[in-house]
Amino acid sequence: MSIKRNRMLAWAAMYGVLIVLAALWIYPLVIAIVKSFAVGGFANYSAVLNHERFNYWAAIGNSFLIAGLSTVGIVVLSTLGGFAFSQMRFRGRVFLYRALLAGLAIPVASVITPLFFSINTVGLRDTHVGVILPIVAFNVLTMLLLMKNHFDGIPPELLEAATIDGARPLRVLVSIFLPISGPVLANISVLSFVYSWNEYLLPNLLLSDDSKFPVTVAVGLLQYQKMSQEQIGQLYAGLILLTIPSVLVYLFSQRYLQAGLTAGAVK
Amino acid sequence: MRSFGGRWVPYLYVAPVVILSGALLYFSIGFAAFASLTEWNGLRRMEFVAFDNYVQLFQDRTFYIALMNTIKFMVATVALNCVLGLLVAVIAKEKLPGSNFFKAVFFLPIAMAPAIIATVFKYMFEANYGSVNETLRAMGLLGQGDVIQWLGADLGVWTIVIINTFSWMGFSMMVYFAGLMSIPDEINEAASIDGAGWWRRLFSITIPSLSGTTAVLVTLGIVGALKTFDLVWLTTQGGPGVSTQFLATFLYTERQGREAGYSSAIGIVLLVIAFALSLVQIRLSNRKK
Repeated sequence: MSIKRNRMLAWAAMYGVLIVLAALWIYPLVIAIVKSFAVGGFANYSAVLNHERFNYWAAIGNSFLIAGLSTVGIVVLSTLGGFAFSQMRFRGRVFLYRALLAGLAIPVASVITPLFFSINTVGLRDTHVGVILPIVAFNVLTMLLLMKNHFDGIPPELLEAATIDGARPLRVLVSIFLPISGPVLANISVLSFVYSWNEYLLPNLLLSDDSKFPVTVAVGLLQYQKMSQEQIGQLYAGLILLTIPSVLVYLFSQRYLQAGLTAGAVK
Repeated sequence: MRSFGGRWVPYLYVAPVVILSGALLYFSIGFAAFASLTEWNGLRRMEFVAFDNYVQLFQDRTFYIALMNTIKFMVATVALNCVLGLLVAVIAKEKLPGSNFFKAVFFLPIAMAPAIIATVFKYMFEANYGSVNETLRAMGLLGQGDVIQWLGADLGVWTIVIINTFSWMGFSMMVYFAGLMSIPDEINEAASIDGAGWWRRLFSITIPSLSGTTAVLVTLGIVGALKTFDLVWLTTQGGPGVSTQFLATFLYTERQGREAGYSSAIGIVLLVIAFALSLVQIRLSNRKK
């Protein structure tokens, strides 16, 4: 009897906690949706889509371009590097690997002046390539760690068998290691894409042309010194529209995103 | 036996990441260290001033405000994310009907750009017409004409903590959940046969078993706090005045003010703090092993 009642109480308490927290988490989403219809209704959405400075499709396209190319760069670099650091023995291996991993602690903000200077000097300021390079440079390190750890876990017999057959390194990587790395590659691809998509500081620092802004920076184009209720409604409509791609990516890749993030944390 | 890949081939494989990442990062650090010793507006000739920028920095009231805010934020976000993440993970493990829905709700913000989240919260927490104060007034918790300055000098940092928790609690929840799954059921069963209640098991088995997970989350939280920029920049921009400046935003503000030398000095201090904290963490985790 009392065990059953205790169980009921425990359930009630646990649901209570979950419901209160979930309400706090859902509240901003509900507010954003409700407010996006404030004053103008659906007209808010058409106003945002026909804005004079803010170009929704351009922002989405820019984000896809930056995040897509960054992801390709990060995945290729971390795969090649992770493969060599894990499977090959060479002078300076440990030193180089440690020096790279130490970079994980560097806050991007601490080096913005030199970054801006370098990108400007090589003539890449206000270009997408100029944003992609530092995004890859900073984000590849986590993925390098993940790839190396993954390759470390592959049984050494596999490499021995291949080298006895005389296979060259690239051949070993492409036809033996990569085919069994599908899930890890999916994890780091999704993770790289989300990180690059969410990047704000670097594009904000390096881009000045409105039409090149990714989603995160383009939000600023919908804000003014003094905002009327109508403009706030339009801003919320813009925010909702800008979040749709992220939510879609989330829905299609939730499993990989969770796996990638927890793998990164648990090492 | 000749080592795999021979003598030179390995360098071809690591070259791309070493050149792009290593060179860009370490060149930047070196450049920042040099620039921090100069008076420079970011464009024209640098003038060597030795340690003047550092002397000035350590006498700058804003630096200490930014440092304190960063520390407050660090401690509060780490604590909140860990406590709430563990709480939800422990509940989710009980496999209540609908727990997957709750997990999805808490995890969703991770897919959303912090820049977007920050903007939503900025207008939600606005004092006069913001939704939070309106909701509180509607619930009778706040007088009709009254306002709470959520993003003001007193509460600003704590509001930014709330925004960060909204963004990242789902992450610590997932990490704890993965950790919980690796605790063998037999331990809990044995303990409950011995008469240990739910709370007893939580504090004597679950939390100690997850200490490794907690250590990782604390490290990531500390590094993350030092990197935090967009949540502050897009809500308060360090204001009102300098009351909610963080180290990263303080640096950015100085750089915008054409004080590239001074802002590089802030960057170097930020870097030293980041590396020092990482070293401490590595020491601690090595000692445990």
